[in-house]
Amino acid sequence: MAAKQREISVSEFFTKNKHLLGFDNPRKALLTTVKEAVDNSLDACEEAGIVPEIWVKLTQVKPNHFRVSVQDNGPGIVKNQIPLIFGKLLYGSKFHRLRMSRGQQGIGISAAGMNGWMTTGAPVKIISKIGANKPAHYFEIQINTQLNRPEIKNGKGEGVDIPAGPKGLEYLASQGIEWVATYEARDGVPERDVKSGTRVTIELAAKYQRGRGSVDEYIELTAIANPHVTLHFEDPDGNPRTYARSTRHLPPEPKEIKPHPYGVELGTLVTMFERTKAPTLGQFFVTSFSRVSSAVARRICERAGVGIRMSPKNVPSEKANGLYQAIQETRIKAPTTDCIAPIGEDLLLKGLRHVLPGEFYCAATRPPAVYRGNPFLIEVGLTYGGGGSVEKVSLDVLRELLSQTDARTLRQFLINTFDGLGPDAADRILAEAEAGTRVAPGKLKPKDIERLFESMRNISVGDGQVMQVLRYANRVPLQFKQRDCAITDSVIQTNWRAYGLSQSRGALPAGPVSVMVHIASVWVPFTSESKEAIASYPEIQKELRLALQAVGRKLGMYLRRRKRVQQEGERRSIFLRYLGEVASAVGEINGVDADGLYGQLLKVAKRKTAEADMKLDERGKAIADEHSAFGDNVIIVEQDAKTMFGERATAAPSGNSPRSATAG
Amino acid sequence: MAKRKPKTNERAAAKPMSELSPADRKTLTALTGLGERVIACAERSRPPHLDIPSRTLSNVRFNQSKRILEMGSGTNRRELFNLSQAKAYMQTLLVGTGAKRLIEQGKTTSLRGLYYMLKHTIEGTKEETFDEQGESDSMIEDAEVLLNALREELHLYAQKRGEMVGPITVIDSGDEIDCTRMGSGGYGIPSIVEPDRIQFRNCKATFILHVEKDTVWQRFNEDKFWRKHNCILTHGAGQPPRGVRRMLYRLNAELGLPIYCVLDNDPWGYYIYSVIKQGSINLAYESKRMAIPSVRFLGLRSIDFERCRLTPSVQIRLNDQDRKRAKQIAGYPWFANKRPWQKEIDLMLKNGFKLEVESLISKDISYVTEEYVPTRLAESDFLD
Repeated sequence: MAAKQREISVSEFFTKNKHLLGFDNPRKALLTTVKEAVDNSLDACEEAGIVPEIWVKLTQVKPNHFRVSVQDNGPGIVKNQIPLIFGKLLYGSKFHRLRMSRGQQGIGISAAGMNGWMTTGAPVKIISKIGANKPAHYFEIQINTQLNRPEIKNGKGEGVDIPAGPKGLEYLASQGIEWVATYEARDGVPERDVKSGTRVTIELAAKYQRGRGSVDEYIELTAIANPHVTLHFEDPDGNPRTYARSTRHLPPEPKEIKPHPYGVELGTLVTMFERTKAPTLGQFFVTSFSRVSSAVARRICERAGVGIRMSPKNVPSEKANGLYQAIQETRIKAPTTDCIAPIGEDLLLKGLRHVLPGEFYCAATRPPAVYRGNPFLIEVGLTYGGGGSVEKVSLDVLRELLSQTDARTLRQFLINTFDGLGPDAADRILAEAEAGTRVAPGKLKPKDIERLFESMRNISVGDGQVMQVLRYANRVPLQFKQRDCAITDSVIQTNWRAYGLSQSRGALPAGPVSVMVHIASVWVPFTSESKEAIASYPEIQKELRLALQAVGRKLGMYLRRRKRVQQEGERRSIFLRYLGEVASAVGEINGVDADGLYGQLLKVAKRKTAEADMKLDERGKAIADEHSAFGDNVIIVEQDAKTMFGERATAAPSGNSPRSATAG
Repeated sequence: MAKRKPKTNERAAAKPMSELSPADRKTLTALTGLGERVIACAERSRPPHLDIPSRTLSNVRFNQSKRILEMGSGTNRRELFNLSQAKAYMQTLLVGTGAKRLIEQGKTTSLRGLYYMLKHTIEGTKEETFDEQGESDSMIEDAEVLLNALREELHLYAQKRGEMVGPITVIDSGDEIDCTRMGSGGYGIPSIVEPDRIQFRNCKATFILHVEKDTVWQRFNEDKFWRKHNCILTHGAGQPPRGVRRMLYRLNAELGLPIYCVLDNDPWGYYIYSVIKQGSINLAYESKRMAIPSVRFLGLRSIDFERCRLTPSVQIRLNDQDRKRAKQIAGYPWFANKRPWQKEIDLMLKNGFKLEVESLISKDISYVTEEYVPTRLAESDFLD
């Protein structure tokens, strides 16, 4: 037995545990690959102070074999670092520091490359250029899983240098290597050269499917949380899409901080004792941690009964435990929180408004807080109204979705594919389309598809819609394991009924609402390495709750106002209905001009209903400016006056207009 | 949107104002006043409203000296710009237009006729002005109190119910009707019995016997009770309609005929008696033209089960609703201080059963006409 014991390389471990990294199925593998590449690109751009522009392209090489190319306009990577970054697991700049960034461990992109090589045999291709007149480096890299070491395949193991200028571009073209060399002309800015950047191309066995948990969704979600980024996306069918940035302001650069004593575990503490260069424990504490003054250091040592002048290297293990306990018992100031860069309420609103249609937007950013010595911050944005994804889909896309889906029944297809579409709404759509619920999506006739499309347009799914929760950690969207996430828990535990939404116990509230929740932290507590769900720390739950309540209150105010306006509209339409009859009756009795009388009564009716409609806050007090009641960070998209005021349009074709009253 | 609704019926030649009767002129003036108030409100940009005298128990009081029910001064405001009242407001005005058309054309119609006359779809909607006749009926009653005009004055009549027979000649719209020669039927008392339509001639009767329903009336008529006892025999098919009540009132007031009632021994019978005597709550405004305080209650009495030695099989058990209603009636101010009535109602409650007039047939087919009523009359045995 003993002879069989041997060291396991990290790379080997991960090839056998692909699910830990998010490569458990072909569809998710595609997403994870795109995601790792884009996250890295964004981090690189922001650190270098460049306003990011990212090009993502998916190409289908063979059935179930895709090529993912992601290029950024970042600073580029110096030549000798390239193979290590892309060809060695756990190599990175981010693991050993406490600083808010998208990536954390340095596993992502190299694991994506490894997965690609394992499934297709194709190496990772990297082009990187660090300046306008500098040559671009071109590498084809493969990871040696035994040794966790990169192997360069091209240029006899040295890579290829491509000269700058037109000559280099010609070479790229001749080799069939893609490189976006110019920014598109936009908003009057002419075409410009892309001075620097990195392009990584990975081929992998994958499956492309739209809908929930797709690359399309990831791109859209990323655009919401990163309004300073321009994203170009080309799907395997060659449809290009661009999410243009809505601001050129980069998020403030997050500061790197030393760990806080409360956040350090015993084992880490012992390791730190061994590695430190500080000669005494007192100096060790002051230099290695944030928020520890010499007085605090002395207190810790006294409490543990250890001399402050003892060398950290000589601390016996039972004393280390004592010190660890002493740290927990000593009052230490909370860590500085300026190391966290929130998106900001203003940009959150911009991002949401840019991507999600709606009629009401609001946002709230909480002040930073601390869990286990790690500073973090919660931001929440909320969108109300607007059609769900069901109404946005085009007939062609629907056809394609139907052919791609692996759902067994049509009902399942609707629920799985479209965000915020509950079983109720799905049933109503199917009833309208006169389709059976158990029909296989692939077996629909073209005519049936058209009918399904029509009914998806006509049915107002607003009522059967479930709140859509968009989760982010350090600006990276989290698309899986929604149920296991502290964010989802907090959303469910919030009493949305108090804010005018309907909600059954233990479920997400219903209604055309999207909530975006962002947790920013120097160390985001994920439940697993694939970074899909946030762990539930009480401090985090509390901040989530407060942030959700803040946007909830604003939503409640808006919904109450909206309801009041709608009620006024209904009231008015009831009055208007009878005015004509009254006018002509009086006209007949008294022989006066009925039209004139109608006009006069109409004026009274309008005044009578206008008096009550907009100018009151929820306590019934008159307010001068209705927007001021909501406070800052709210966008209200003015609705078409006709639908708002119930000025009766005789034939309202859409199901979206406020239902006309039938009471009377 | 809705301008004038298209005229469905071209107005037939309207009579000029001068040719109308004084009553019609009065009604038309009231109607015009109603419209003018709306116009005045509209011109001053005020929301129009109607103050309708309230037809509820709380707005009815018992006039002790006249011994009839009278309507109080309470009113209900009906506003056009009030969600729950807007439709009713419109309907009230529609009834006004209907009345105006009827008066100008010198025609009358039934309540149902008016309902059809005014019922149409509101322009631009799928809503009907009136969904069922009940709606227009109650608007008509509102219009009566609002315009201080009787139903007859609005040229409306109700369904005809109730008959009479006896030694009297009635001139109905110019036709002479000898009520002794009605065969096995009777003279159907019309809905409108105002003096301009109906006059009395040759009355030889000495009193009026009013029975509750047609079946009992048939018994009396077949036995020619009215001939033997020289009386007028009427029935109201249950709760007597306005025409019957007004006819009784006129016979009593103009010819001085005393009226005796033979009604069932149950709360319903008591209430019929109460309405004939004091007037009804809903039509309190018409009490002065309909209530007959001198009417007498001849039977059936609660003591009749023992007095006439009836068999237990004719008893009908009182239900909870009967008991509740009986207590309510006993509490009416016009019954409250009448000892005999209190005893009567108490006894019925104690008996626990009610008796129909027809139960007397169990003794003998003509027991009621040959024994019961003659004895009561002879002994002056009745309740006031």
